[in-house]
Amino acid sequence: MPHLSTKVMNSTNFDACPECDLLLKPAQPKIGEKAHCPRCGLLLSRPHKQSVERTFALSIAGFILFFPANFLPMVGITVLGNVNTGLLMSGVLALFNDGMVAVAIVVFLASVLFPLVHISLSLLISGHLYFNRPNRNLAMWMRWMLHLDEWVMLEVYLLGIIVACVKLMAIAPLKFGWGLYAFIALIIITTMLTSGLDSGLFWQRIEQLRKKDNHEC
Amino acid sequence: MNAKTNALAQGFIRCHDCGYLVKRVDHPATCPRCDSLLHGRRPHSLQRTTALLFSGFFLYIPANIFPIMNVNQFGVGDPHTIAGGIIELFNSGMIPIGLLVLVASILVPSLKLIGIGLLLLCAHFRWQVNARKWTVMYRVIAFVGRWSMLDIFMISILVDLVNFGAVQIIAGPAATAFAAVVILTMFAAENFDPRLLWDNQQNL
Repeated sequence: MPHLSTKVMNSTNFDACPECDLLLKPAQPKIGEKAHCPRCGLLLSRPHKQSVERTFALSIAGFILFFPANFLPMVGITVLGNVNTGLLMSGVLALFNDGMVAVAIVVFLASVLFPLVHISLSLLISGHLYFNRPNRNLAMWMRWMLHLDEWVMLEVYLLGIIVACVKLMAIAPLKFGWGLYAFIALIIITTMLTSGLDSGLFWQRIEQLRKKDNHEC
Repeated sequence: MNAKTNALAQGFIRCHDCGYLVKRVDHPATCPRCDSLLHGRRPHSLQRTTALLFSGFFLYIPANIFPIMNVNQFGVGDPHTIAGGIIELFNSGMIPIGLLVLVASILVPSLKLIGIGLLLLCAHFRWQVNARKWTVMYRVIAFVGRWSMLDIFMISILVDLVNFGAVQIIAGPAATAFAAVVILTMFAAENFDPRLLWDNQQNL
């Protein structure tokens, strides 16, 4: 990286690496290519084809799947003729009834509330971008969604289900319900959502919409 | 002090939330694109990370000593600690799953506490290191943190499913401590600013 003179700089002509703060010329990789920071190796951008359209479609699918994943039974266990079936929420309630309020809240947030908010925000944002509708909350929604990303732990929950099932299989026969299949589909969709989201493109589009809105006012 | 090639040293601040690069100003300012507050580096990064790391470290002790769940069979309780649950998995021949839980609930949290501690020492004492390797270490720590919640989710499922008059599983006090450790270390990793590692390198 050559030393750059401060005088010729304009804030829009440069970029900085989020993790090592190297001043960069903005990389503009083509679709399917990746741009890495030359100094620390961080993946800077990886544009996907039709990111807005794909995000919009996946958010709709995820939003619909959220409900069967939460309200249909996932795993059933039979002991001495008694059948117990588990839902996402019933695990939270069981912890709550045992007096583990803090753990119940954490599980509720990471496996029910945050995924719902995340998908709703993604639906709102991509919907506004898809139909070119300006909204002054767009930037705020986008910030919330990016901050929430790490706290949506559906795939960790799935691993928890697998470990729990392996432990229970030794004790009693298990039955898997439609809720579990919907849940797995929901995880595939949220993973595709987060990996296919081109946040650079989204911020550019949000900025364009804001300018358009200011122009019309 | 700052490495000359860094954007901050050249008079630019990168917005934390949207990545917009703006000219550095002396007064508090917000990002013109997303309205979030601009900071050259994460505010009080080292202090906050240290505080969160120490709280996580102290809670890690009860998380490992106390039982994470109790298996009640016909009125007789059988407490399991985190390590006990893994040993049981190994003994019953479920080695891959046992290894998975071993990694997620013992190796990851303890290596994470050590790793964040090292990152803090490195940034504070301005060690001259291969900053690229240390940044990769930071990235790994930030990525794996959430997977430790595995144990907590597993317990919520077991508590829910195994609830028959005679046989019951009840969550133990270590569950709260362990969940707190995972969340505190996730916040610690989020508050640590890896760019501090690069600021301290004099040979860039």
